Amino acid sequence: MTTMVAGPNLLADLLSGPRPTEWASLREAAELRLAGRELPATREEDWKYTDLKALAGLAFGPAPKATVDISSHLLPEMVGTRQVFVNGHHAPHASCASAVPAGVRYFPMSHASEACHALGSIGNGVAKGLFEDLNTARFQDGAVILVPKNLKVALPLHLLFITKAETPIAVFPRVLVLLERGAELELVEEHHGEGAYLSCPVVEVHVAEGAILRHERVQRESPEAYHLGTLKAEVGKGGQYHSRTLSFGARLSRQQPWVRLAEGAEASLDGLVLLDGAQVADTHSFLHHAEPQASSHQLHKCIVDGKARAIFNGQIRVAPGAQGTDAQQQSRNLLLSETARVDTKPQLEIYADDVKCSHGAAVGQLDPEELFYLQSRGMNADDARNLLTYGFAADVLTHIPVASLRRALRQLVMARTQATSLGDLG
Amino acid sequence: MLSIKNLTASINGTPVLKGIDLEIKAGEIHAIMGPNGSGKSTLGKVLVGHPAYEVTGGEVLYEGRNLFELAADERARAGIFMGFQHPIEVPGVSNAAFLRLAYNKKAEAEGRDELDPLEFDDFIHEKIKLVAMKEEFLDRSLNEGFSGGEKKRNEILQMAVLEPKLAILDELDSGLDIDALRVLGDAVNKLQRPDRALLIITHFPRILETIQPQFVHVLSGGRILKSAGKELATELEDRGYDWVLEEAAAGGAR
Ligand SMILES: Nc1ncnc2c1ncn2[C@@H]1O[C@H](COP(=O)(O)OP(=O)(O)OP(=O)(O)O)[C@@H](O)[C@H]1O
Ligand SMILES: [Mg+2]
Repeated sequence: MTTMVAGPNLLADLLSGPRPTEWASLREAAELRLAGRELPATREEDWKYTDLKALAGLAFGPAPKATVDISSHLLPEMVGTRQVFVNGHHAPHASCASAVPAGVRYFPMSHASEACHALGSIGNGVAKGLFEDLNTARFQDGAVILVPKNLKVALPLHLLFITKAETPIAVFPRVLVLLERGAELELVEEHHGEGAYLSCPVVEVHVAEGAILRHERVQRESPEAYHLGTLKAEVGKGGQYHSRTLSFGARLSRQQPWVRLAEGAEASLDGLVLLDGAQVADTHSFLHHAEPQASSHQLHKCIVDGKARAIFNGQIRVAPGAQGTDAQQQSRNLLLSETARVDTKPQLEIYADDVKCSHGAAVGQLDPEELFYLQSRGMNADDARNLLTYGFAADVLTHIPVASLRRALRQLVMARTQATSLGDLG
Repeated sequence: MLSIKNLTASINGTPVLKGIDLEIKAGEIHAIMGPNGSGKSTLGKVLVGHPAYEVTGGEVLYEGRNLFELAADERARAGIFMGFQHPIEVPGVSNAAFLRLAYNKKAEAEGRDELDPLEFDDFIHEKIKLVAMKEEFLDRSLNEGFSGGEKKRNEILQMAVLEPKLAILDELDSGLDIDALRVLGDAVNKLQRPDRALLIITHFPRILETIQPQFVHVLSGGRILKSAGKELATELEDRGYDWVLEEAAAGGAR
């Protein structure tokens, strides 16, 4: 028996358009799983603090093709390695992959067609999320990256997803990254936009034995946007996956990274969230230590101002037999106003005995000892506060390998932490 | 330059300084020695305005002004500097950016020109040579992950950048290897001028062979029990502090 829902049904609306023809069986399966489902409600433990009620009442139309000026998004190291997607559609004229080394396959999904057998298969066996299925059912295009055995790609690749919504639209960016044995790659994935829209990106990653992927993820959606993202990464024996997710935009955002580590694999899953106004940003991460001797490192930092709210739920599962696991998690949060709020929760499930797991969570204000140290060098209280707030955030940016991106993000963080008057802090 | 009269201070309601009298004139170097927990660091931190300490009595004049009317950052811009026993780590703020900011805040206060990043680059390269610091430390976050000795070196680098009139160096020598001690001792000497003064807090006479004080004071139980010339440091090394305490007790009973 189904209950009738009053008002518009967002999911049904989003699925009401025609089903794209490629990947029909994948999409069909996703639609089957979605049949009869509704948006998650706050009574569900996983969505306790992230209320989608406001989203439920909105209607999002299909995303039309559009052109945008991307000049402000270009970064010198990556001008010749960029694939640009506007409103979920590939933008060939804005893209340029001429500097991508031979051997690397880097193309829009619409060109790949059914060739990508791995699509939709990363993390098979774990339940698919609702927004992940929604993406699978309706994505228009996306990027495929295949790096062959032992190829170390010298230049970083740049994925730009830009949304321009004149009326409310829904976009479903999709990415598939496959690194064969011993391959190495640096990938920058950015989301920008203007207007009111819903973006549900899905990124699938497979890092084979001994391969290394460094993945920078920048979320700068428009202040009226909803961003509900899924990341699934499988890391093979001795492989490494290092990601850094930087969330600045969106009225409401949720990041759901899931990472599975095979024997001796390494992962880092760092995050920086800067919020003010009435923004909500939720990170629900899942690190699965499936096999022995893998290590993971997670540093998640939030700076919350105004009436904004940050949520962090960091789940770590150490499977039976995953001996020698080393898992470290830190959640550090800075509240800049009395009405800002953070809910942080580690969730450790450890089924092996020889493991090293540590986690810590701190929510608070700036450290008075640090403030005094700066003041003792002649900085007034306001400058010292702003510098420390900046430093708290910039800490996460320090090791971004692409210099121009690091600089741009530092500028952004300076502006958001009132540190601009302090001059160049590069 | 600095005149301390009957200064008392407490932390969390516990009295730590119990009546300090000390005169420091321009051009002088003073050393303070004393047992652990006697209040040496407290004295320094009170002078630079650490908010955890409460001044409960007495008076401190710095260049004729009431020191306690100045906030910590104003004291710094007025030329007082403390090299801390345990410098704080500040992640995310590069050492170079921090030093330039500190320099420019002081320059601004003194009506001198601020340095832009390029000018500062030249300036700081002279300074890191003075303290023999490797360049890579400029790009690292302020003190983050620095070893104990590296932090001390960085404190002296800050001193070299700010060129204070009155520098209080709290256990500069603890954690330093022999070479570093000599290099930093020499650097401090080079920074010393007739119009500047130094207050060296230490447990070891060794550093006082490089930075030679005219006055050595023994601080114990929140009071200065004895003041003498630099030979007192060696005497303390040989005989410990007990005789000073006994002498003071006898003197107190007189
Ligand atoms: N934050 C604090 N809370 C409580 N007591 C404190 C605090 N800071 C200092 N004290 C106490 O004040 C006294 C003086 O400490 P201070 O650090 O000034 O000693 P010190 O002479 O510098 O010692 P050391 O030679 O070990 O560095 C000590 O008994 C110390 O325990
Ligand atoms: Mg001390």
